[in-house]
Amino acid sequence: MIFHSLDFAVFFVVLAAAYWMLPRRGQNALLLAGSYVFYGWVHPWFVLLIAATTAVDYGAALGMARRPARRKAFLWLALAANLGFLGFFKYFNFFADNVAAVLAAAGWQVSRPALNVALPVGISFYTFQALSYVIDVYWQRTPARKSLLDLGAFIAFFPNLLAGPIMRATTLLPQIERERRFSASAARDATLLLAWGFFKKLVIADNVGVIANKVFALQSPEFHVLWAGVFAFCIQIYADFSAYADIARGAAKWLGIDLIKNFEHPYLAKGPTEFWRRWNISLSTWFRDYVFLPVAYRLSDRMASDRRVLFDAATWAYVAGMIVTMLTAGLWHGASWNFVIWGAYHGGLLALARIVGVARKRRRRVRRWLAPLQIAGMFLLTNLGWLLFRETDLAQLVRHLGLSPFQSSVLGRQTGAYLFFLTLLYSLPLWVQSVWAESGGRDFVAALTRDEERPEAWAVAVQALLAGLLFAAILVLRSTTSLDFIYFRF
Amino acid sequence: MSQSGSRRQRGFALLAVVLGVFVVPLGLRAVNLAVRPPDAAPSYIPSVESPRVRAPFDAGAVAALREAANDYILIGDSMAGTRIDPGHLSRLVGGRGAAALLHPGSGPAYWYLTFKNFVVNARLKPRFVVFFFRDENLTDTLFRLYPSSLDRVARNQEPVLDELLAARARGTFYRLHGAARRVYQYDQTRAWLEPILVRAPVAWSARRRARKTLLDSINNQVFTLEALRPMVAADMATSSVEALDFDRNLPTSVLPEILRLSKRSGIRVAFIRVQRRPAADGPPPQSPALQEYVRKLRGYLESGGAVFHDDWGDPDQPLSVYEDGDHVKRDFRRVYTELFFRKHPEIFR
Repeated sequence: MIFHSLDFAVFFVVLAAAYWMLPRRGQNALLLAGSYVFYGWVHPWFVLLIAATTAVDYGAALGMARRPARRKAFLWLALAANLGFLGFFKYFNFFADNVAAVLAAAGWQVSRPALNVALPVGISFYTFQALSYVIDVYWQRTPARKSLLDLGAFIAFFPNLLAGPIMRATTLLPQIERERRFSASAARDATLLLAWGFFKKLVIADNVGVIANKVFALQSPEFHVLWAGVFAFCIQIYADFSAYADIARGAAKWLGIDLIKNFEHPYLAKGPTEFWRRWNISLSTWFRDYVFLPVAYRLSDRMASDRRVLFDAATWAYVAGMIVTMLTAGLWHGASWNFVIWGAYHGGLLALARIVGVARKRRRRVRRWLAPLQIAGMFLLTNLGWLLFRETDLAQLVRHLGLSPFQSSVLGRQTGAYLFFLTLLYSLPLWVQSVWAESGGRDFVAALTRDEERPEAWAVAVQALLAGLLFAAILVLRSTTSLDFIYFRF
Repeated sequence: MSQSGSRRQRGFALLAVVLGVFVVPLGLRAVNLAVRPPDAAPSYIPSVESPRVRAPFDAGAVAALREAANDYILIGDSMAGTRIDPGHLSRLVGGRGAAALLHPGSGPAYWYLTFKNFVVNARLKPRFVVFFFRDENLTDTLFRLYPSSLDRVARNQEPVLDELLAARARGTFYRLHGAARRVYQYDQTRAWLEPILVRAPVAWSARRRARKTLLDSINNQVFTLEALRPMVAADMATSSVEALDFDRNLPTSVLPEILRLSKRSGIRVAFIRVQRRPAADGPPPQSPALQEYVRKLRGYLESGGAVFHDDWGDPDQPLSVYEDGDHVKRDFRRVYTELFFRKHPEIFR
């Protein structure tokens, strides 16, 4: 089921109404049943997969608790099952294609087996959410749960099931296990989050997405047209993904559950490290905690701490850990080489930022006037990254990177300018919100999510007006081309 | 203030915000009254389209068809356009020949309206009307609803098509959408606001003299069919699992209506599934879902009295005769026309 459908609206209203009439265990049973209906709406067999993941992780965690001596074996079992499902459905064809290509290059022609099944949507997200539970139980950060119902509701929790934010067991499970009471303030905030999320998706992301799709369908776009298309995609992917996160947070809030914020105005980041603190925060921190830190610590332990080759051992461990992490993160996005290149690109940027940071450590001074230039520079680097991300044809990518602005025709320059300004126009609310929040004003959404004891009449009137204006804008300006959420395919 | 008073206040605040969502957009009606309405009329498919200025129905083409009174009429998009040479086909069939009502970039809505308004309602009596399509196009009602093609063949009101589109576009709850549109009149706001938005960046993008024609130049010179990547057309039409659910899509497709019109008018219809671009070593791959879809489509059409033919796997159409995407080479057009004539005695006897 997709958020921007009337099916979901009816599903959600009925579920939320029934939810608040039930005691806690009844609520969780409804959450689990509702989540499975939500997930299996188009392909009912997807439910078997998520149920199997839940059963394996439930058993593995309990096994760790009951047989501490075999904790590691249970961890490997859970990792193999979770990553096995993910690998089979998401990477089988990619792996088979590449093996066949390598064999063909060696002179062996083989007909590769093809897997003709739909990729279970959201599998990357719920697999990582489930893995966080098993790994945290292994690391003894959280106890193994005895309630299969609670664990099932945690793994399949429908608001964030398909595209995050990826919640940790330590954050979401306790909320599912405790008593929840309806809060009118939270529901009010949730309504505004929903309105803002739907506005970003239907008005901004879908309208600029049409521009990006048109440009990337061209065989030989000129320089200006191409980069206008990249800019459109840059806006689309942020508006689209952050819209999903806001709608997920709004829906969860209506059910008395708080999901973490997944974005903090990422296009105002001043460098790569800051960008990844602001972009897809739940995934970045997941990779930091479960991939980067273990890899970096292990490498750091193996390197002699007193040995220095240009930089100290810790810096080299950081660089290597970051490259490994970002390559994995790239591949997580999809079974295609362009995602691997995108991951390597960002890994390289992060490593470079670290090396430059270490070199300049002693003479570092904050220069405020530099901030706009740093933001602009990072935004350009981010756009280059989005070109690598969006262009799946490597030959085309090489062609794009060789384009010169001086080769554009007059019409090419005018078209590029037109598409750029049209994208800017549609994305204006996004920029205004980001700049306003960044310059110390109250974040539209954060300001609206204050939990006031006694709301002031004027503030409520402004909120009601804003929610109504967003809905009116959706009615009038929504794109006639409805695009799927981009991150569904990951 | 007591705890219950505070709770009540929070409850009212929630109610105010929820009401705001539904009440504030009513202001669109007032805005529409204040803004002079443009020269736009309600669309003939209002469920999926705002009021706009439309191109007129092509009555001249209907008159020409009446005069020619062809024995065969072909309907389709560029797939048929690159494959069929109407002049050559007319020579092959003799008699009153064949007319090709082909429009590149057209879809099932155009094909249905052409059949209804240009053939059946114009009281033409061809021996056969032949539709050309790819894979699941016939039941993909929302495929290519382009005004540039539809305006020529649509009457001022097309309630049957509109009902089908509404059901397809809005799912089970499409009537709710219709009610929202009537209450808020957002389509009217869109009709004047959207052109302003789309035109605004023109002033910042080109010198004064070029502004007037910039949008046309972008559409006609930059984003042309020829400028697309060879496989984009095919990729864009790649079938999703939902699109291949024949039973689900049939009731909201134009097929039942085409067959009903065919029976009512006594005009026989045929459907030719053209072959997509083959693989290097054989016909284009077909998923099990697509094979099942085609099996059901064939069964449905043949039980409804229509002729169905599938070009898939035709050894006379190897990869070497294809140009870009699913289009065939220009010099193969004559050959295909002859193959088409020769392989369908049930149509051309």
